[in-house]
Amino acid sequence: MYQEYSIKYSAKNRYETLVNDAYWQFLIIPEDNKSQQLVSWEFANSLNDIHQTSINGFGFKTIRVHPGQKFNEISFEASFTVIKKEVNPFDFSLPQDSTADCAKLDDLNFQIDFEPFLRKTRFTSLSESYTNIFPFDRDKTIFENIQSLNKWISKYLSFQPGVTDVNTPLDTIIKEKQGVCQDFTHLFCALARKNKVPARYVSGYLHQGHGYFGDSQMHAWAEAYIPDVGWLGFDPTNNLLANTNHVKVCHGKDYTDCSPLKGVVYAPGENTTIHSVKVLSEQQQ
Amino acid sequence: MVRSVENRYIKGKENSMDNLENQIFASYQRNPDLFDEIFDENGVVKDVYKTLFNLYGGHSIQDYVRLNEKAKSSFFNQGITFQVYGEKDAKEKIFPFDLFPRIIDTAEWDIIERGSIQRSRALNLFLWDIYHDKKILKQGIVPLELVSSSDNYLHQMMNVNPPGGIYNHISGTDVIKHTDGNYYVLEDNIRCPSGVSYVICNRTALKRALFGVFNHYQTHTVTNYAENLLDLLETVKPKGIDIPNTVVITPGMYNSAFYEHSYLAKTMGVELVEGRDLFVENDFVYMKTIQGPERVDVIYRRIDDLFIDPLEFRPDSALGVPGLFAAYKKGNVTLANAPGTGVADDKAVYTYMPEIIKYYLDEEPIIKNVHTYHCSRPDELKYVLEHISELVIKPVDEAGGYGISIGNRLSKEEVEEVKKQVAQNPRKYVAQPIMSLSVHPTYIDENESFEQRHIDLRTFTVLGKDREFVLKGGLTRVALKKGNLIVNSSQGGGSKDTWVLKD
Repeated sequence: MYQEYSIKYSAKNRYETLVNDAYWQFLIIPEDNKSQQLVSWEFANSLNDIHQTSINGFGFKTIRVHPGQKFNEISFEASFTVIKKEVNPFDFSLPQDSTADCAKLDDLNFQIDFEPFLRKTRFTSLSESYTNIFPFDRDKTIFENIQSLNKWISKYLSFQPGVTDVNTPLDTIIKEKQGVCQDFTHLFCALARKNKVPARYVSGYLHQGHGYFGDSQMHAWAEAYIPDVGWLGFDPTNNLLANTNHVKVCHGKDYTDCSPLKGVVYAPGENTTIHSVKVLSEQQQ
Repeated sequence: MVRSVENRYIKGKENSMDNLENQIFASYQRNPDLFDEIFDENGVVKDVYKTLFNLYGGHSIQDYVRLNEKAKSSFFNQGITFQVYGEKDAKEKIFPFDLFPRIIDTAEWDIIERGSIQRSRALNLFLWDIYHDKKILKQGIVPLELVSSSDNYLHQMMNVNPPGGIYNHISGTDVIKHTDGNYYVLEDNIRCPSGVSYVICNRTALKRALFGVFNHYQTHTVTNYAENLLDLLETVKPKGIDIPNTVVITPGMYNSAFYEHSYLAKTMGVELVEGRDLFVENDFVYMKTIQGPERVDVIYRRIDDLFIDPLEFRPDSALGVPGLFAAYKKGNVTLANAPGTGVADDKAVYTYMPEIIKYYLDEEPIIKNVHTYHCSRPDELKYVLEHISELVIKPVDEAGGYGISIGNRLSKEEVEEVKKQVAQNPRKYVAQPIMSLSVHPTYIDENESFEQRHIDLRTFTVLGKDREFVLKGGLTRVALKKGNLIVNSSQGGGSKDTWVLKD
């Protein structure tokens, strides 16, 4: 079973004063992996400047724009066609011995190999008072624990756009019990890592045809590494395992590694950016 | 007749020397507990300093004051000034320079040079390993926490192969001489170590002030640093480049080391650029020139990791070049030092240097580390608790000198307090013996006399592909405040010309 998506990304930037020089980097191209294939893509900007492709520090494809003229306003539009393979996320057997399963997390080599996704980062640090907010049950397998974590977060936080921003610390989110998909994902990563399970932040697109949460922006979810299984996607915002509706762009330690648009703009004064994302399911076979 | 005249002449000279010697060193007070670089324990001038001692003795204090002024103006004239950050009226200052040079003989220098190369090479192999296979961690030689707790461990560098396999092209190794007469390494600086321009300028200033003294010693030159640096940087050029175009990138003229950046660019004969002078297109780096874009292949960068590329690291950095890191990752440009070297020059890594040297080179350290007791090891903890008054206790995870207790300066109650803290949380602490830096006679303006002052030495090592270079000299820093052990220029330190003698 395959599903084809047509994704439209647009961003409009407006500046109070004339911009002399600017660089932008977009981290918005869906990656090619075993569950998805990028069929085609296009990118354009309102100034008709040429763009380049490059990579970010973790090797994910980026688009760069460096306009050769002065401007007050610029808009970008990208479209992607992606084919998602329908895969069963439960296509593995749970280990019999949960104690032995959990013990794999204590292995030094395992902790060394997954160090980047086990460390505390700016957005995945919890203060002392919250570190035991979700202890793992060592009588259950890692997968079961992670699944309970996913469920717990989706119940604990309520989806509320506009109350948090990219700089809201995790402690505030826990206290206020609300946030957006980034906050759900950071909390997931923080607690999985706290329990020694490697977890990474994933940025991508969500097809919302099923009433899933996620505003008309890019979506965020997490991947946890389950020993002997591999990286599995969990969407704590929707209490789901990532599936055909999730189109991945990139992953990183937290939002910092994945921010979809980075810009260096040489102009004083205020600016506004409006993003929008549309994911349409083109056809189903 | 002739003979008797000669005799008289010689005799007269000896007499006058005694007198003048008394003038300059008359008030010199030798603390027998300190290691004096020029006087032995009996107060006799060491062989290597004898000629110099006599030559300096040939001047009066008044001569000195005049020469000192001359040397100061030489620094102003060369434009060698610095500013201390955070001072209200940031005024340009000269780095205080002392006219009495430090001499390092061939045998001692050999140890320092081989030791500096050994450390630089071991650190380079360590960096390669922790950004690739991580064998030293997996074999449990150094603990994982060493890298996992470091903000300077850049995951973007994972599996990146820097051109020529070199990370720490330029290393500054700080060594001291302890009262036992041995050299010890205090720290390794492998981010953007500075100070080399002072080495060269100190030599120039001393030559201007006291040209004659150089006729009596065969001293290695220090002015060949820039050409060697350029040569070695060219050995680590990106693949496919024949003659590389090298530049020095500076944060700008307000940086405290701007003089050095411009000096190095000038003496290497390469362009000095700021971030805005460069741009990246299709993952290649170009310099804006009036003839149009010119490709850049090797960048000696004096900008910290997090500021080199606002698209990859700190987005608010106005100093960097957008897109530079991707160009580096694709192998189209060399950055010296490589990004991510900072993880290896932290205090915690230092304590494992003997193990690191042994692991990668199968050698014993040529210059000793200050011995470190890990309180996490029970037998070492026992020693530490019993000898607190002889030790410096440091928390492993604090930077910038916070939480350090110096044993011999603690009251009885404080000793008990520290003991309690260490015993409660031994993993958090390491301890080191209290090191005493050697002293060197230093001219003190306000007292118009020579006095003992503590010194250290920063050496400069350059690693290239299969080649290395150590500057035969170095920056001898002097703590100008009496009894002070802190030699940094921001803390009121000065410096001395440092002579490495030829065979």
